[in-house]
Amino acid sequence: MAQYVGRKLGYLVLTLAAVLATNFTLFHLMPGDPVTHIARGQHLDADAIARLRSFYGLDMPLPSQFITYVAHLFRGDFGWSYTYQTSVGPIVAKALGNTLILVTISTLLVIVLGVGIGVFAASRRGTRTDGGLVIGSLVFWSLPTFWVGMLLIFVFAVTLGWLPIAGMFTADAVYPTVFTKIADLARHLILPTMAMVLVDIAQFVLISRSSLLAVLSEDYMTTARAKGLSPRRVLWRHGVRNALLPVVTATSLYASATVGGTIQVETVFSWPGMGQLIYLSVIRRDYPIMEACFLIFAVVVVLANFASDIAYRLLDPRVRLT
Amino acid sequence: MTELNRRGFFRTSAVVAAALGGAAALASCAPKTATRTVLRVGSTTDIDALNPFTAFSTQAYDVFQLVYDKLMEYDAQLNLQPSLATDVEVTEGGKVFTYTLRSAVKWQDGKDFSADDVVFTYLLVRDNNYGTYGAYFKELTEATKVGDNQVRLVYSQPQTLDPAIIIPIVPKHLWEGVSKDDLPKYANEKPIGTGPFTFVSWEKGSVATVARNDGWWGPKPAAEKVTWTKFGSDDVVIQALRNGDIDIVAEVPPTIYTGLKDASNVTSTAMDSFSFHMIGFNCSKEPASKGNRLLLDQSVRQALSCAVSRQQLVELALSGYGEPGADLLPPTFGDFHYTPGPDAVLDNNPGKANDLLDKAGYTERGDDGIRKSKAGALLEFRILAIADTAVDVKAAELFITAAKAVGINLKLSTTDADGMGATVFNTEGPDWDIMVWGWDSAFYDPSYLLGIPTTDQIGGNNDTFWTDARYDELYAQQKTTVDKDARIKIVQEMQALHYAACPYIVMWYQKKLTGNRSDTWTGWQPINGGMILNFPRVNYLDVKPA
Repeated sequence: MAQYVGRKLGYLVLTLAAVLATNFTLFHLMPGDPVTHIARGQHLDADAIARLRSFYGLDMPLPSQFITYVAHLFRGDFGWSYTYQTSVGPIVAKALGNTLILVTISTLLVIVLGVGIGVFAASRRGTRTDGGLVIGSLVFWSLPTFWVGMLLIFVFAVTLGWLPIAGMFTADAVYPTVFTKIADLARHLILPTMAMVLVDIAQFVLISRSSLLAVLSEDYMTTARAKGLSPRRVLWRHGVRNALLPVVTATSLYASATVGGTIQVETVFSWPGMGQLIYLSVIRRDYPIMEACFLIFAVVVVLANFASDIAYRLLDPRVRLT
Repeated sequence: MTELNRRGFFRTSAVVAAALGGAAALASCAPKTATRTVLRVGSTTDIDALNPFTAFSTQAYDVFQLVYDKLMEYDAQLNLQPSLATDVEVTEGGKVFTYTLRSAVKWQDGKDFSADDVVFTYLLVRDNNYGTYGAYFKELTEATKVGDNQVRLVYSQPQTLDPAIIIPIVPKHLWEGVSKDDLPKYANEKPIGTGPFTFVSWEKGSVATVARNDGWWGPKPAAEKVTWTKFGSDDVVIQALRNGDIDIVAEVPPTIYTGLKDASNVTSTAMDSFSFHMIGFNCSKEPASKGNRLLLDQSVRQALSCAVSRQQLVELALSGYGEPGADLLPPTFGDFHYTPGPDAVLDNNPGKANDLLDKAGYTERGDDGIRKSKAGALLEFRILAIADTAVDVKAAELFITAAKAVGINLKLSTTDADGMGATVFNTEGPDWDIMVWGWDSAFYDPSYLLGIPTTDQIGGNNDTFWTDARYDELYAQQKTTVDKDARIKIVQEMQALHYAACPYIVMWYQKKLTGNRSDTWTGWQPINGGMILNFPRVNYLDVKPA
């Protein structure tokens, strides 16, 4: 097992190194450069532009820019944001925190509700309930996230006035206690979470349903029923547990995708997270922020894969240790 | 299989009820908000930095306008009025400015404001060619303290723009500690000024807040706080306005603006602006330029200008919210604005376009009726627009149709704003033919927009690479002509020259479309250029609770 983990760790490091290099090269090959962006419309003369360029190290050849970048990275320095004119680390950390609040809650809901509904549908295979649930989740899956978001805003925020339109907190709110602040955050969380759950839940409904259906037709299920176990016990202990493997794969993929895949939800609901930060940085060609964000995504994806490799091994001893 | 028994039913019902109850409880416990004491601005762009010399976004500019004071400021009619200076004396034909400073002014950290701060600020910007403003102080030869409460600025050339209006005054005691090398990246995380509001916080990508400075020298503003909130899209920010979550949206896109007129408790106002949108031609004569050389022929550019109707562009692309364009200066610049005489007009005249092209020898036609040059090259050009700027893309489409009608074929491609900048301003070999873009005057003075097509600005603002020795000469002349009538004459001649040469087709001068709540704050004054995010700060200071 230790050897298995060690090898997987080795791959992990190699992958990250490759990601680092690709990230850096890719962004610097994009058309446009931050200095032209800054200089546009600012009456800067050629001197001032040259000084800006040299200040950000953009006048150096690409390879030496890369070496500087990696060297700084090892010191925990993600670089200097062109637009915010401050260190990248704290900006990205703050955005990541905001995103994690949103995606942790919605991911948990998506998985728990998705698997629950999937199991429920599978246990009623072929009934109208089953058909309704599958079609319903497919319909939401096929809707564009930003459109669902706008719809939710229109219904719950504008028409009914129950929930806030956007942001994480009410801009001019007065909080007597920390609990009222948390309640305010929770209110702001409801709509973006709903949007994510509605659109994404189908993946887990469908995967868990089909996986459970396959398991339900196995011989050992008949055996379990023949032993006289209660239907509930047969379903959860013998059925669902064995149907979980594909769900684990889906979970690791989903979790890693949501860290960066919330651009639409964050944009519609003005949630100051990673998605919004990346969007703005791409527009402003803020390479250091983009590099830091994408590095974090890569780390999350690679770690999630690593975790799912290990989880596989724990869930299913048949997975080979080579 | 499993059946929902009674217990299961109750259990499920309880969970659903709890969830709904929880949601309802959360919905009902909205925090107390301080409406009518907080002025809430909504927009889709965030402020970008807190250093008043190096930040670029207009939102940031408004934060600085409230935290800092300048020596002079604009009133709602864009006349200069005293601010940190109570008086200015201009002598030696506009070369020397002597300001008398307001007394007993304090910085927001409690220290006394003095003439030293003013001298320090001007020299800081001049000596370091600092940020956005460095270029405006190249001719400043001297900044000195006169007595205890006067400052004298001496220039080598007469100045048409009062230097008092250009930069905010920053505290010497906080800025002198910043080393020269650190200046470009100085973040100024807690701005301290003498202005009517103190900086409170900036949540990046979300909201910036300032609070009233009760020790300010001027009349106390009614707003206790001002917040600028960033929203993800124009639709959402308008919903927030309709909902009463914010008090004002300074820039509403034309497509949404019409719908806003029916909203309850929302007032919509269309104001003239200091901006234009144009179709620009790559006029670079450099060997490295990858632009289509046929556009160096003035007749082709003039023909394209005649082919299109500016009135139609305004009506169809801009939903009517603007004036048809002529040259660089919008009508908000008063007598400086240029209107071509009947013989000079190059607009909405396909007959003239065809004549121009015929006379210039583009008589042969290829397939689809596209004209050819004498050498046999088709009159076929690329046109580039910013995908997000819907009005420009629509205008480009209309322009393509109009050009086709006179035998010129255009192919549209789109990019983002930065890609546009990199392509258009690429001095090492601009690889584009025609672009659709816009300009907004950074100052209430003709020099900024007039300066765009000067030779000096190649590598800077000159986006068409068009140059003209006479134009450059006139530009330098108007910049130092303090006599307004004389200056108007020069500026008119410059624009006539630029209009006829046609490096730009100025399509329109768009309106600034604003929506504000009528039930929270009243007394919003319409101002040329917009109620807020504009040169004056008066609306922030003067609005009253409804």
